[in-house]
Amino acid sequence: MLCVDRISRSFGNVTAVRDVSFDVERGSVFGLLGPNGAGKTTTMRTILGIYAPDAGRVTWNGTPIDRTVRRRFGYLPEERGLYGKMKVKDQIVYFGRLHGLGAASASQQADVWLETLGIIEFAKRACGELSKGNQQKVQLACAVLHEPDLLVLDEPFAGLDPVNAATILTCLRALAGRGTTLVLSSHQMFQIEHACRTFCIIAAGSVRESGTLAELRAAFPVRTVRVAPDLPAIRATFAAAGAGEPVVDDDGALRYELPAVTDFGALLRAAVAAGPVEEFERHEPSLSAVYLRALQQS
Amino acid sequence: MNEIALVFAAELGRKVRSRLFWIATLGGMLAIAVLIEAPVFFTSIAQSSSNDVLLAGPPSLVARARVMLERRRDYRVVGTVADLPGRVTIAYLRAHGHAGAAIALSERGRRLHLDIYPRDLSAFDGAQFRDLVPLSIELATGAPVARVERASSIERTIHPIDEKFTDARTAALAHDLAFGLVFILYLAIIIASQSVMSAVAEEKTSRIAEILVATIVPANLLCGKVFAAAAVSVVQAGAWLATTAILVPFAATSPVFASTVAKPGATGPGSFGIDPALAAAFAAFFILGFLQYATIYAAAASLVSRTEDLGIVTAPVIMPVVGAFFVAQYALVEPNGPISVACSFVPFLSPFVMFTRMAITVVPWWQPAVALVIDALAVAVSFWAAGRVYQVGMLLYGRLPTARQIFAALRA
Repeated sequence: MLCVDRISRSFGNVTAVRDVSFDVERGSVFGLLGPNGAGKTTTMRTILGIYAPDAGRVTWNGTPIDRTVRRRFGYLPEERGLYGKMKVKDQIVYFGRLHGLGAASASQQADVWLETLGIIEFAKRACGELSKGNQQKVQLACAVLHEPDLLVLDEPFAGLDPVNAATILTCLRALAGRGTTLVLSSHQMFQIEHACRTFCIIAAGSVRESGTLAELRAAFPVRTVRVAPDLPAIRATFAAAGAGEPVVDDDGALRYELPAVTDFGALLRAAVAAGPVEEFERHEPSLSAVYLRALQQS
Repeated sequence: MNEIALVFAAELGRKVRSRLFWIATLGGMLAIAVLIEAPVFFTSIAQSSSNDVLLAGPPSLVARARVMLERRRDYRVVGTVADLPGRVTIAYLRAHGHAGAAIALSERGRRLHLDIYPRDLSAFDGAQFRDLVPLSIELATGAPVARVERASSIERTIHPIDEKFTDARTAALAHDLAFGLVFILYLAIIIASQSVMSAVAEEKTSRIAEILVATIVPANLLCGKVFAAAAVSVVQAGAWLATTAILVPFAATSPVFASTVAKPGATGPGSFGIDPALAAAFAAFFILGFLQYATIYAAAASLVSRTEDLGIVTAPVIMPVVGAFFVAQYALVEPNGPISVACSFVPFLSPFVMFTRMAITVVPWWQPAVALVIDALAVAVSFWAAGRVYQVGMLLYGRLPTARQIFAALRA
C-alpha cells in the first residue's frame, strides 16, 4: 500500500504542495486530479523520490521508499522523452535493465510488450522515426517492462487518439489485474472515471476531495433529474419540491437540479400523479461535475 | 550489472557508434600524420630548396667554399659556374639544378664578399654563412683555414645540475614530449567537454532525464556517462599516441625531419623513447584530470534547457582547462619555481603541472604521490558535487538556476 502522509514541498517562495495525504491500496487504480499547476506532478515526483518532501513522508507497505523499493516502481512522466537514435527494442531493454531485469529477461519481456502494444514491427526502427502515438507506447513499455509494483503515470492519455488511448487503458487494467498499483493523472475525465477506483482532487497544492467515486458522489450536494414531457403540472410539482427553474434539453425534456437529500421516490409519485410522465431519470453527478465543484471551493 | 555499468555500457555503445567519434579519432590520427609527414613529404617533392645553392666565382674560392658549406650539411651546392649573368632570374636558377639561390663569391678589400640572389628573400633573412668565416679570415690575415678553424672553435662541456638528463639533446626532447602529452590531455578534455555536454543537454532537451533520475541515482547516471566519455577519450588519445609512435621513427630517418621537427641531430628511432614510469604517470594524470573536468562539464550542461543554450555555460567551465594549460607552459620554463610547485598540488591544475614537471625535471617521489591522492580526492568531490547539481539541474527548465539554488542543492 502506498501511503502519502502530509507531504509539503516548496520551491523558493512557492509552495507546490501543502499537507497532501492519501492512501492507495495495493493493486488499485488511483486518480490524481487537478488543474494545471495544482501540484500533481510535484506529488508524483515526491512519491518517486525525485524530490524529497520538506515535510511529511511517503511509505510503501509501511516502509520508507529507498532505492531498492524505487527500482520496483515505474514512471511515465508528462513530458515524454526517448533517445531518438536508439532502436525501439534496445531502448525498452535498456530501461528494463535499469530496473533490475537481466539481459535475457528484459529482451523477452520487451518482445511481449511490443506485441501487446502493437508495435512489434517497429522493434528495429529508431525511436525518432515513430509517430507520437507509437512513441508513447514505447515509453509505456519502458515504464512497465519490469512489471512494477507501483506505476505512476502523468497524463498517460495526452495526445493519443481514441484507439491508442483504449489500447493503453486496456494494458493498464491488465497490469492492475496482475497486482500493480497505479497512480495516474489525467484531464480526460471520461477515461479516468472509468479507469480509477479512488480519486484525489488537488488544487493550489492542497487536497480538496478524496475517496471512491461513490464517496465523492455521496458528498455532492445536488442531483440532476431529467423529466418529460414539459407540462405545467409537472413543472408545478417540481416547484413545490423546491426545485429552481429547469433547463430545457434539445428534445424538450426538463432538467432540474435538486438537493441530494430530496425524497426522489415521493417526487416521482407526485409527478406521475400530476400528469402522464414519460421519462423520469435521476443522474448521479459525473466525476467532471465533482471535480469542477471541488475546484470552486476555496 | 549495476547502474553505473549499465549506463557506461549504453553510453559507450552510443558514442562508439556515433559519427562524431570516428571523425574525431580518425581525423586526429590523420592530422598527426600530416603534421609529422608533411614537412618531409613537401620537402621531398619540392623542386627547389633554399638550402640548394649555386656557387659562382674564382674556381679555387668556389671549391674551398663548397667543401666548407657542405661539411655540416647546412647547404647543398647544386652547381658551380665561373660567372653569373648580369641579371639572375628564376629561370636561370631553375636551369642550374633548381637552386634556391645563386651566390657569387669574390674578394673585396682582402675579405670574402658574397652577392646572393635568392628565390625567396625571407629564407636568407639573417643568413650569416658563418661556415665561410674562416675563409674570410684567411683572406684577411693569410692564416690557413684549418688553423683559423682550430683557433675559433671553443671546447665546451655541459654539466647537468639536474640528474634527470645526461645531455642537452635528451632534455630538449623531454620538453617537446611534455608539451605534446599535455597538449593531448588538453585536446582530449576540450573535445570531451563538447561530447559530454551535448549528451547531457540532449537528454534534458528530449525530456528523457526525468525518467532516468526517477529510475536510478543521478550520481550513478553521471558517473556512467563520464566514465564512458573517459573511456572514449583514452581510446582516442591512445590512437593518436600510437600514430605518433609509429610515424615518428620513420620520419626521423629523414634529415628534413631532423632539421624541421626534431632538435638538430635528434634523428633515429631511439631518440623518441618514453620512460615507462612517465608513461604510467601520464596515464594516471590523464584519467584523473579528465574525470575532474568532465564531471563539471556534465553538471554544467544539466543546468541548460536547450542544446542551443550550452554556450552560456561552456565559457566559464572551459576557462579553467585553458588556464591549466597555460600554467603548464610556465612549468615548462620554470619547473621548480614556487608557483609551479604549488600548482602541482591544486586540483584541476595538478594533472597538467605535475606531469609537466615530472617530464622535465627531478621531482621528489612524494610530490607525485601526494598530487595523485589530491587528484583522486578531487575526482570524488567533483562527482559528489556534480551529482547534486545534476539532480537539481536535470529537472529545471526555462531558466538557469541561481548560485543560491546550486548552493542549496549541494547542502541538501
